[in-house]
Amino acid sequence: MSLIDKYPYGKAPFALLVIAIVSVGLRVAIARRHGERPDLVLVTYSDAHYDAYRRAVPRFEREHGVKVQVQQAHWASLQSRLQNSLLADVELPDLAEIFEGSLGYFTRGPAEDFGLLDLTDWLRRDRLYDRMVESRFSLWSARGRVYALPHDVHPVMLAYRRDLVAELGIDVSQLDTWDKFVEAGQRISRDFDGDGLIDHYMIDLRFDGAWGLDTLMFQRGGQFFDADGNVAFATEDNAELFRWYILQTRGPKKIAYDCGWGQPVAKAMIDGLVVFQWTPDWRSWVFQDEVPSLKGKMALMPMPAWKPGGRRTSVWGGTGLVIMKRTKNPTLAWELAKFLYFDTPELGKRFQATNILPSLKDAWDLPEFDRPNPYWSNLPIGKTYAALAPETPPVYSSPVDAVARIRRNLAYSLSAEHYMKYGEAGLMEAIRKNLAEAATDVRRYADREHKLRAGK
Amino acid sequence: MKRPAGKVLYKGSAPYLFLSPYVLLASIFFIVPFVNAIVLAFYETNGPRSRAFVGLENFRFLLHDTNFHTALLNTTVFALVSVCVQLPLAMGLALLLNGGSSRLRGIFRLIFFSPNFVGQVLVGILFSVLFTPRYGLIPRGLQAFFHWGLDKQWLLDPPLIRLAVVLASLWLWVGFNMVYFLAALQTVDKSLEEAARIDGANAWQVFWHVTLPSMRHVVVFVVIMTVIGSYQLFELPLTLLSESYGFGAKNAGLTLITYLNFMGFHTGDLGLGSAVGWVIALIIFTISLIQIRIARIAED
Repeated sequence: MSLIDKYPYGKAPFALLVIAIVSVGLRVAIARRHGERPDLVLVTYSDAHYDAYRRAVPRFEREHGVKVQVQQAHWASLQSRLQNSLLADVELPDLAEIFEGSLGYFTRGPAEDFGLLDLTDWLRRDRLYDRMVESRFSLWSARGRVYALPHDVHPVMLAYRRDLVAELGIDVSQLDTWDKFVEAGQRISRDFDGDGLIDHYMIDLRFDGAWGLDTLMFQRGGQFFDADGNVAFATEDNAELFRWYILQTRGPKKIAYDCGWGQPVAKAMIDGLVVFQWTPDWRSWVFQDEVPSLKGKMALMPMPAWKPGGRRTSVWGGTGLVIMKRTKNPTLAWELAKFLYFDTPELGKRFQATNILPSLKDAWDLPEFDRPNPYWSNLPIGKTYAALAPETPPVYSSPVDAVARIRRNLAYSLSAEHYMKYGEAGLMEAIRKNLAEAATDVRRYADREHKLRAGK
Repeated sequence: MKRPAGKVLYKGSAPYLFLSPYVLLASIFFIVPFVNAIVLAFYETNGPRSRAFVGLENFRFLLHDTNFHTALLNTTVFALVSVCVQLPLAMGLALLLNGGSSRLRGIFRLIFFSPNFVGQVLVGILFSVLFTPRYGLIPRGLQAFFHWGLDKQWLLDPPLIRLAVVLASLWLWVGFNMVYFLAALQTVDKSLEEAARIDGANAWQVFWHVTLPSMRHVVVFVVIMTVIGSYQLFELPLTLLSESYGFGAKNAGLTLITYLNFMGFHTGDLGLGSAVGWVIALIIFTISLIQIRIARIAED
């Protein structure tokens, strides 16, 4: 008589029992295999960072006689895991790289409850402030204190098809203002072959605003929030930007097309459907890596300015390295952060693998930053981006950052809808009203958070 | 023969023993969070450390919040479309398959049900590719057949966003509900249908007066589950409109659960998120109650 036959409750419960025992056994075995926790755990979301840190960390381990574990997780999963671990008060990594716009979540409520270490005094003590691009600290600061080390600068340029630009008779050296850019765009954004479809658009612009509007707003000196955390996007300047953007994406002489994201962008560039693309440093690598067929045909130019002599760049994106307050080795974690972000030769290698300009200014003198890049028509893109870096505008963060972006986009959609119904008649009034309502709404959300700070 | 007392005790406790893992897990992962969510709805929170009691303020905030109003409206529209379009389509398919050979029925049932193998997230990703302007299969198909729509921004133009979510959810759920209806159709007493036909009833009359009443319990169940599912619509719009947290232009894709997720996990306002959760629960409970009542009245 087999064991299964001896079991008094039948075959199915027996199978369930076996599954339960095996599952528990496996879980225990896996937990044992993981062994003891290393001295430091660092999590990053980027493939390139993960490879670079894994390469660099053994030297740090030797120098300090410690064990460091580098982990990788998808950015969205990393953020939610950090958030949930903080909420549930369970085990956390010691250091983590977080995404632009996410600091606000970690800096809600009373400052003493933040889950992140305040790095301000360490930055001052080690004289690191002046060595980095100042504007980048804005993204990683809350209530006047710095909570993350800025990994990058992300100045924005315009990438374009050099061959197509020549074919269409555009002289990029003349495109130094948006007025001239639009003028050239209106000349080429048309149906050349008579099939009823526009063959070339001047630029890829988000149809619903989103980061296209963000980038242009930052270039004009606008912000979602000011340095003190007050809502700051309902301005006359932003209203004018809305109008401009609506005309370029929906007007009778529109010059923009929304290519979407990923492969459709690559296809649109290969087909010449759009000529210019927003390209911060990180995106120059995306093109290089994912659209190799355009090697040697692509080039970069600074963004046109809003006024002659004005700012020729903006920012898009950002990564910051945070140290968790609950780390058992804060000093060691800070040493690792400095090792990874301030080890100049390592930054040269990392630039070659990512095209991302580090916020440490000393690194820009390395030969890697001056090397011609064959993909970008032999342009030394490191130096090119670095030349624009000091001009990059600040971007202030807030706990209601996500609400502000969503609400500003809604204001834009409503304004665009007004234009589609009534044209330019009453457009500016509608835009002002939509912006003002959006700002009021965001203030309502912000006030809740302010109450929480006071309620402690 | 008398059994030993120990064995009786062992036999008697066996059901509880088998139930205990579920009870334990349900207590940890359902009852505790359930109670916690009730408490949280009256607080504004920031993790386990800081919270401020706000009474009914979270609910009052929702009453005046335009984003919440839009989410409620969109979700209700999606629920109505699900009941009014998705279920008749599922029933139509089931009726078609019910008449065919059993082998073909099996093949088509598998085909129509297959979108459910991959789940909402993959369907969302798939449709975001299908809707890509100029290059996607749907704009290209529209251009080929109607000379229209090649550059339509399905996922950025508010009216088209709603249509895109509806189309993707139809593709996903029609086959799923069809399986329920098909199973119910196969239990309908054929002699009743036959008798109705002999009495001169046409196909529609047979369906309306004989077939549908015979499968009313399944229909009520499917309608209730569809409404509950529609009010929990989340992954599909979130994946289709991932670049705007699932909101879409003019908040056209915003659903109640997307709003809950956004408030709870993007702004960290778990108290408000819990309040939204309770409002959704109340809505679903009320609608389900009404549906059950209507079904009972119809039955009487």
